[in-house]
Amino acid sequence: MNVEISDVTRRFGRTQAVAGVTLETGRGVFGLLGPNGAGKTTLLRMTATIIPPSSGRVRLLGRDPGGYGPRREIRRRLGYLPQSLGYYPGFTVAEFVEYFALLKEMPPGRVPQAVATAIELVDLGGRARAKLRTLSGGMLRRAGIAQAIVNEPELLLLDEPTAGLDPEQRVAFRALLRDLGERATVIVSTHLVEDIGAACGEVALMDAGKIVFQGTPDELATRGEGTGAAGDAPLERGYSAVLAAARSATAAA
Amino acid sequence: MTFSHEMTGDRDDLPGPGQDRCPRDVDLHRVWLGVAAEVWRRRPGLVERLAGRALRSPGLARALVTTPSLLLGSVIASAVVLAAGMFATLGTGTPFVALFAPAVAAAGIAYAYGPGIDPAWELSQSMAVSDRMVLLVRVLAVFALNAALGLAASAASGTAAAVTFGWLVPMTAVSALALAVATVTRSANAGVAAGLAAWAITVLSAQSASGQLTTAVASSALVFPYLAAAAACAAVTWFATRIPKGTS
Amino acid sequence: MDDDELIAAIAGGDDTALRELFARHAPWLAARLRPILPAAEVEDVLQESFLAVWRGARGYRPEGSPGGWLWGITRRQAALWLRRRGPDGLPLAALAALAGHGGQHAGDPAEAAVSRAELAEAVRALGPEGSTMQEVWRLMYVEDRTVTEVAGLMGVPEGTVKSRAHRVRQLMRAVLRQPVRDGGGR
Repeated sequence: MNVEISDVTRRFGRTQAVAGVTLETGRGVFGLLGPNGAGKTTLLRMTATIIPPSSGRVRLLGRDPGGYGPRREIRRRLGYLPQSLGYYPGFTVAEFVEYFALLKEMPPGRVPQAVATAIELVDLGGRARAKLRTLSGGMLRRAGIAQAIVNEPELLLLDEPTAGLDPEQRVAFRALLRDLGERATVIVSTHLVEDIGAACGEVALMDAGKIVFQGTPDELATRGEGTGAAGDAPLERGYSAVLAAARSATAAA
Repeated sequence: MTFSHEMTGDRDDLPGPGQDRCPRDVDLHRVWLGVAAEVWRRRPGLVERLAGRALRSPGLARALVTTPSLLLGSVIASAVVLAAGMFATLGTGTPFVALFAPAVAAAGIAYAYGPGIDPAWELSQSMAVSDRMVLLVRVLAVFALNAALGLAASAASGTAAAVTFGWLVPMTAVSALALAVATVTRSANAGVAAGLAAWAITVLSAQSASGQLTTAVASSALVFPYLAAAAACAAVTWFATRIPKGTS
Repeated sequence: MDDDELIAAIAGGDDTALRELFARHAPWLAARLRPILPAAEVEDVLQESFLAVWRGARGYRPEGSPGGWLWGITRRQAALWLRRRGPDGLPLAALAALAGHGGQHAGDPAEAAVSRAELAEAVRALGPEGSTMQEVWRLMYVEDRTVTEVAGLMGVPEGTVKSRAHRVRQLMRAVLRQPVRDGGGR
């Protein structure tokens, strides 16, 4: 198990962003679905060792991120793409990817090859030496994905990775995800339901800081059958049905 | 004789550009990656290589040489301000270098690193090279550079020894304040503003108390308060850059 | 962009031009090398060759042919590679060249191996075994017969032999991109 999250909560002031989440996952692509404000980003940030939980236990790649040494070891094997990633406009794509490869303490000898591989994997090979300020939004996102995968991470966390990508790029990206999922644990947080169905082996649906569904995409789709829930596709209907059920249960409680 | 167009002309089955298919067991993608790795590779400069060896971390060295306030433009700007101070001192006898140096340093340090200036700050917080280490190394480097520039300008302007060195302590305090504010407010500009304002207030109130403009940098009675302020601000910065627990 | 423009761009430091040139030419260069070297070494030689292209693009003269220039670089790299393997690593073809034609290949068995492979390819290009062109090649250049003898053996006028020989040289030249010496090895 690469990720073991037990009964984790996270509070910001008086808000409970994550209100008791338990999650375990090994290799493969794991989808995190949910409306805005559901706590997905906070959960991802905790998994990226940026913030600790307020309570509960997190174990990543068999280590406890609370300690400096283990946290550093986790981070060397981690890839993270935040929801909004700022860019150093004067850097080229290659410099940008290389910068984070170095900060992830990759052995310098391996860096050039890893950078080239990552850039070609996200199809930015024709722009490797272009300055970031000349790139479109979708290309910047892909550069962000490249820095996340440059160190061949065992744990890859992607927050809204397909934002700004056109449909063709999204298809290519899902194929990349499936590939990466064979060697690593990939957690993709998104509000785009179709991204989940195409690439994820397992999916969790979050709402108001809790997980209200966990299972395969097919199981999620099944939940929407016969309920008359909103949605143009089975997965969307399942999504709506589960959310509606969870919210009425909370309202009734 | 070199290749001529008769190659493609007469016979279609002659091998040549565009007409041969790559043998199935040759991985051209792997070949390209090898070529690209060399072509796209960045070769670190001397300073970066030395820093990498000294700090035992190529990542930290790279972060250091990409410090915004250590870029050539910023360094030149600082040097220009201090040179102006030097000439003003030579001309009027008032030690302007001593009064400018802390302000210049404060600006440089506020722009060194942190949430206020690094667009990829969140990502930096998930790196193996800790953001605190980067902050520390950058701040020390900027401070050292500004101190060196200031000392050079100061010595060249022929002021008394007490004043030549006297501004180092206030510079530390003002820089620490600028950094603390920049980190807490997540804005480099706020840090610079706070640093400059605090310094201006200090200089002017010292002057109004003693009648002399240079009291802020020459009075030994102020050394302890300056150092105490610097320590407090450093603690605030340290606290503000910790991995937040609980409720922040 | 045509190849000349690509190479000029590469000389100016444009890596995307190198990428395009690679996409266009690496496949056939690989096919050329494969008979001489195992797949893994074809990859290594190609990598070195394109790095040599990157570094040496400024030396390209546009009146030449891009394909020929590229192949020239590649075969030099291949020869370097073969040489690096040492005498034990040379393929049989190189050894045969060494043993057979002392003076002809200036003592470089690696170059000889490459030349021999090129030659074999060019001969194959003349047509299937036993075809007219192959026959002419065999009689005139391998067996070193005179035009009169070949005319007699093939049962055609000498003029026909000469024009067929000319055609053979044309075809071979096209493949080898170097002049084939008239009259064979004599």
